[in-house]
Amino acid sequence: MSCENSSCSASNGEPTATRSAAPMWIIVAALVILFVGGYYFDQHSGWFDPKVYAPYASGEKLSAYQPQSGEAAALAKGKAVYESVCGICHGSDGLGKPGQAPALAGSEWVVAKGFNRLAHIPLAGVNGPIQVAGKDWNMAMAAMGAALPDDSLAAVLTYIRGSWGNKASAVSADDIKKIRASMGGASVPCSCDQLKAMPE
Amino acid sequence: MNPTENKTFCASEIDASCRVPLLALFGGAALWLVAGLALGTAAVMTFHKPDMFADCPFLTFGRAQAAANDLLLYGFAMPAALGVMLWIFSRLSQSPLALPIVPVAAAHLWHLGVLIGTVAILTGESTGQTWLEYPRVAAVLLFAAFLLIAITAVATFGLRKARELFPSHWFLFAALLWFPWIYSTANLLLPFNHLPRGVVQPIIGWWFANNLIFVWLTLVGVGVAFYFLPKISGRPLTGYGYALFGFLTLVFFGSWVGIPQSAPVPAWLPTVSSVAAALAILPVLALALVVKKSACGAGVSCKGGPFCFIKFGMLGFVVSSVLYVSEFCPRYARVLDFTWFNFGVTQWQLLGFATMIFCGAIYEILPRVMEKDLPFPKLAKVSFFLLASGVLLYVLPLIIGGVEQGMKLHHANVPFAEASAVALKFLRISTTGQLLILLGALCLLLNIFVMTIHWKIGLLKQLIAAVTAPLESTEVKL
Repeated sequence: MSCENSSCSASNGEPTATRSAAPMWIIVAALVILFVGGYYFDQHSGWFDPKVYAPYASGEKLSAYQPQSGEAAALAKGKAVYESVCGICHGSDGLGKPGQAPALAGSEWVVAKGFNRLAHIPLAGVNGPIQVAGKDWNMAMAAMGAALPDDSLAAVLTYIRGSWGNKASAVSADDIKKIRASMGGASVPCSCDQLKAMPE
Repeated sequence: MNPTENKTFCASEIDASCRVPLLALFGGAALWLVAGLALGTAAVMTFHKPDMFADCPFLTFGRAQAAANDLLLYGFAMPAALGVMLWIFSRLSQSPLALPIVPVAAAHLWHLGVLIGTVAILTGESTGQTWLEYPRVAAVLLFAAFLLIAITAVATFGLRKARELFPSHWFLFAALLWFPWIYSTANLLLPFNHLPRGVVQPIIGWWFANNLIFVWLTLVGVGVAFYFLPKISGRPLTGYGYALFGFLTLVFFGSWVGIPQSAPVPAWLPTVSSVAAALAILPVLALALVVKKSACGAGVSCKGGPFCFIKFGMLGFVVSSVLYVSEFCPRYARVLDFTWFNFGVTQWQLLGFATMIFCGAIYEILPRVMEKDLPFPKLAKVSFFLLASGVLLYVLPLIIGGVEQGMKLHHANVPFAEASAVALKFLRISTTGQLLILLGALCLLLNIFVMTIHWKIGLLKQLIAAVTAPLESTEVKL
């Protein structure tokens, strides 16, 4: 049956749509959301790193929380010990405090080739006049490091010898152990002359 | 050129070709809708009277709620959408349905699949994956039935005479391709083979749920609405550019949404999901503008008629989509996760958007296809008001209650049990809404069934008349 007979109505009432272009404002809105979304993605996604989960947002932030090993670990540990034991007087910037403690940054005692004399300072303490980086001090420093374990003390010495522009060699826990043994348990603060009498 | 290709068909001829497939699809769909709503009501009884079904394992919350959701989607929304789609395609092609017997068989396969799946869930044989609960047999049946109907739809699409496509074509054709893709992928990866382990499993689940509920339902719902709004109002669809923009951005950005902010997965997944959700506002906005331009001032006084259904459904689409997208905004997600909010939004998408649109479409199509008025036209109008008020009563308390629950969950001094109990008073209201929706669905079912029975009696009468008719005198040659 087709529509040749006039009794049936052709299905010509189908809906139509007049063609028109998408308006500019919505395309601009799309671009704005894409831009903001891209920034949000950059800030929060960790760039597809499968190890990064919320609330962390990047691999770098995540690794800052990881336990470290090797030289970096020693430095991080040294920094932590320094700030809780030494930094109170010597300053967390290593510049010392006037009338209280000399600077460690640029101190000839700290950056000397060997660390034997340096290690004696926290292990035994210092007493009497001493010259540090061209300034005269009259010191009364207790044996602040005597109670620290070997590896902590080694880490602190490594830290102060390698920070704030100092560039001297690292100190190992074994070295500290040997120096401690050579002192034979003596904990009388050294004078400047005693320190100078020791090998470097 | 084949001379038959130039033939023009009349509307009644096109409608008649759809009659049997559409009755098969819609009849079963309406039955599943009623069953799904009834099961959903039974499921929430847990919150009102916990011991009501305590001795009945079939109706425990986990089983009944899953079966109800699947019935609303696979039982009602999908066959209804497919039936409406077949009719729209043959109308737009100005040609009778190609291969009309195929969708009839497919409809029966589909309903069989839904039956098997529902029974399996209720007896505890569900696969345990959200929206993929149906066991393998049922999933294969659904997939095959969908493909068969899709083939019919594509064949009918191929019969069209005008080269230019109507916006509904894009949406509905995309939906035909979208579902087989996501359903086969998700089924093969999750319940069939359990290939991925651990973190990947929920990611696939969220991807599928989003593509099914947000993308697929939007494609079919909007595609159907874009056909009926101009059809009923008798004016052309305005805002072609918005429709095209909305379609492309929906297909492009919509499928990236879905990973919740609280998901225990690498940070880039929820982040991408949030960005995509922000972009998915655009298609919602664009499609809403098309509806506004086409529906407002159309001068159609619907009074509960199909136009009302479509308008209410599209309003539901806009609001539920905006709420859905807000679930992926990190600031709100922290409060809304693990509350009734998400459930309420999903129900709004299913019932307030898809079901409203398809009910309206069915009420509009049925009288045309059957060449007969609805048996209870007043009930059809009543069902609009029942469904509309029911949907609002059902979902709004869940959404508001979800927000309150979320705030309490975030409050350090409020114990967990108290935060959960906040939702109870809201659930009491929402169950009333569910009952209203159920009544509305019963009106639809009654109309379709009485119509089918009338039609079958008519067929029978014709048959009897043909058998008992006296032979014409010209044939009796003595």
